[in-house]
Amino acid sequence: MQDDELKHLFARVDATPDATPDEDARRRAREAALQAFDAVQLENAAENTVQNAAVGTGEQERKKTAPGDQGFAAGARPTPDKPSIGRSIMNVLSAHNPAQRWFISGLASAAVLVLGVFIVLQVPQRGGLEGSLGGLADSDAYDEILRSERSLELRQDSLEEVIVTAPSAFAAEDMEMSAEVAAPAPQASRMSQPALTIEEAVITARRKVSADDASPPPYYQDTGRDKFEATETNPVKRVGEEPVSTFSIDVDTAAYSFVRRQLNHGVLPQKDAVRLEEMVNYFPYDYPLPEDRSRPFSTNVTVTDSPWKPGNKLVHIGIQGYELDGAQPRANLVFLLDVSGSMNSPDKLPLVKQSMHLLLSRLQPTDTVSMVVYAGAAGTVLEPTPASEKQKILDALGRLQAGGSTAGAQGIQRAYELAEANFIEDGVNRVILATDGDFNVGITDREALQDFVERKRESGVFLSVLGFGQGNYNDALMQVLAQNGNGVAAYIDTLGEAQKVLVDEATSSLFPIARDVKIQVEFNPATVSEYRLLGYETRLLAEEDFNNDAVDAGDIGAGHSVTAIYEMTPAGSDSGVFSASRYREQAEAGDARGDEYGFLRLRYKLPGEDKSRLIEQPIPLRDDSTPALRREVDFATAVAGFAQLLEGGKYTGEWGYQDVLRLAQASRGDDPYGYRAEFVQLVRKAEVADAM
Amino acid sequence: MTTDPEDIIRRAQAGDRDAFSRLVDDHYATMYRFARRFCSSREDAEDVTQQACIKLARSIGQFRFESAFSTWLYRLVINCARDWQRARPPVRESEAPEPAAADSAEPAVMLAQVLAQVAAMGEGYRETVVLVLAEGLTHAEAADVLQVKESTVSWRLHEIRKRLAQQVPPGVDVCKTTN
Repeated sequence: MQDDELKHLFARVDATPDATPDEDARRRAREAALQAFDAVQLENAAENTVQNAAVGTGEQERKKTAPGDQGFAAGARPTPDKPSIGRSIMNVLSAHNPAQRWFISGLASAAVLVLGVFIVLQVPQRGGLEGSLGGLADSDAYDEILRSERSLELRQDSLEEVIVTAPSAFAAEDMEMSAEVAAPAPQASRMSQPALTIEEAVITARRKVSADDASPPPYYQDTGRDKFEATETNPVKRVGEEPVSTFSIDVDTAAYSFVRRQLNHGVLPQKDAVRLEEMVNYFPYDYPLPEDRSRPFSTNVTVTDSPWKPGNKLVHIGIQGYELDGAQPRANLVFLLDVSGSMNSPDKLPLVKQSMHLLLSRLQPTDTVSMVVYAGAAGTVLEPTPASEKQKILDALGRLQAGGSTAGAQGIQRAYELAEANFIEDGVNRVILATDGDFNVGITDREALQDFVERKRESGVFLSVLGFGQGNYNDALMQVLAQNGNGVAAYIDTLGEAQKVLVDEATSSLFPIARDVKIQVEFNPATVSEYRLLGYETRLLAEEDFNNDAVDAGDIGAGHSVTAIYEMTPAGSDSGVFSASRYREQAEAGDARGDEYGFLRLRYKLPGEDKSRLIEQPIPLRDDSTPALRREVDFATAVAGFAQLLEGGKYTGEWGYQDVLRLAQASRGDDPYGYRAEFVQLVRKAEVADAM
Repeated sequence: MTTDPEDIIRRAQAGDRDAFSRLVDDHYATMYRFARRFCSSREDAEDVTQQACIKLARSIGQFRFESAFSTWLYRLVINCARDWQRARPPVRESEAPEPAAADSAEPAVMLAQVLAQVAAMGEGYRETVVLVLAEGLTHAEAADVLQVKESTVSWRLHEIRKRLAQQVPPGVDVCKTTN
């Protein structure tokens, strides 16, 4: 059955005489309603009388006590105006109007409701307010809240009071009338404390329940559909069995921003969202710059003690690319902007627009900018325009609006066509895709998109991916696109992050200085018994791929720093995870190179070259790092430790968030942009979120 | 008396009997039509609507103009319908809806069957389908009435479509599909 059929069915049934209200019934309903209305008005009047005459002393006392005295309830919490109907339980019980039975059933519901209120009040301390409330919405407690709506007029004296009388109220549920139920009344007047009235409690509870649910969401919002590639943490390996470890560098930072966003919302991120290398590489490190241009980057190897596993060592490999000086190469940028319906959220399209503004500020007048948008279909909204015509570009940006489905693949094709048509030799030709990653029309197959991007890479057009939004964030696809398009995947959650990626680090995001950078470490069996690579799970390469120039790997942009960390167990230490083998031959001691932990090899291609170059460097036992370098290394260690804790802390033992804090605090350094200070805050948030 | 709906509501809230009477008259048809979709017989729908009118009298003071009055009213009727259904023993199959007039029988019966299926999918499903398909509310408006997330409404509708599509339409020979 289709929607249309069902609609049609509704329409046909509406057309029958059955659907028109009966005049008699309407009259009866109106009479009944008016009667109820009069009863309510009467109560109003009664209340006024009580107020003016101030009859019962208990009553009087109660009226006089200010709500603020109650500590817990009304005073502290803004509640809606009280409707001007009866406040006195005495009046309710002495009323002979049969309609007053509502109150009695309401009293019963109210008792149950109070339990509901308590549940609601407890929830925030348990964590996941939203989720728990979602559950509550379907539960009986919520039904009780709904049901007690009809008893909103009921006045109850205090929350405490309801608890005291709850059993009798329950008992009264099935009873017809007043005698038993009257019991609470004297107590009510004895207890001179006023408090949260039932109505206020109901409204407070309903407000809490509906805080996220009911208020009409003005923007598109999706939850729980973020897609991450599940990866296994790299295992510990015996040097005797597999002495060589090979991987591609990764300059992405998306994971850190996403994790930050989740933590700022007070929840721990999904484990799959945490990619250690992206968290570590989010931060700029003050590694020494390369001495001459022939080698585009410096490599800095430092060995430190593992903070989380006494006896183990950490090997830091820090790579620093040179800074661009002199003229920037000309750039031909194609913005490929997702304007589908899912982008209609303040943290998506509007943020994209602001981010593009920022990026424009970094361009030279001769650079060209074009803009392709895609939603239900793809279209060019800005033909290639020199960056000097800034107003024209801004106007085109300003006109964008979100709506429709997401034909992302079509958009990518169109963007590449534009980039190729306007190709700049010796310049930067780049498609910058801004999206929440939800491609649902056209080529939606990840493999097919990947193939396409890979083929286009050969043409010299690179792809960078800027991720926006959450709830429906397709991290897996963005990673695939950026990795295969020789680009950077960054996740932009705030304007500050846009500033970091597009302005402060524009050169590194835009201008590659080395391509296909691969790292290979061979550990020395004489000095190291086991090792494990922290992070880079998605970037592992086969040993033989290292020397194969056809195998793609990550790129380094101008000024980029990249850090990789190994944890290793020196030979003879009992801090390893493997027990000693009884039969395996022990590596002969006295073998040469007993002063090296291992050997680092690094391959890269200069832009425009197809043949890779090799850098080789031993990893010495003795540590000759400067204090400045040591500080950078310690901070990277703190971030790596934090990422491991977020991933579940398989190898970190007793080491906890407090230790991360100490290490990070001690190694904050200059921190000109405040990224490290922010990290410290984030660790605190994680500690709180984790405790829940 | 003015005809401004908001003014009428405000007067009714202030205790104006005529205004309230007017309010009931204005909205009775909507409320009845809506209640009818949740009830198997005309009499039930009339009872539910009457309860809703009484409830309106009691709680009109609580309407805060934070949402559209119609949204609020939908919610009120839905709550009454739920109370009503709870208060009654579960409907037996033999109590299938009785057509009010012969010529209208077929669509009414069919609709009742479909809605019964939808209701069986879970709490809130029937309300969702009625609000969106019959009343023509947007997903966001329906979500507002039902006090759930918009995505929940979309998801329910998706689920309903999917499950109804799997159902063999009445009258189709079941053997054909099993070949």
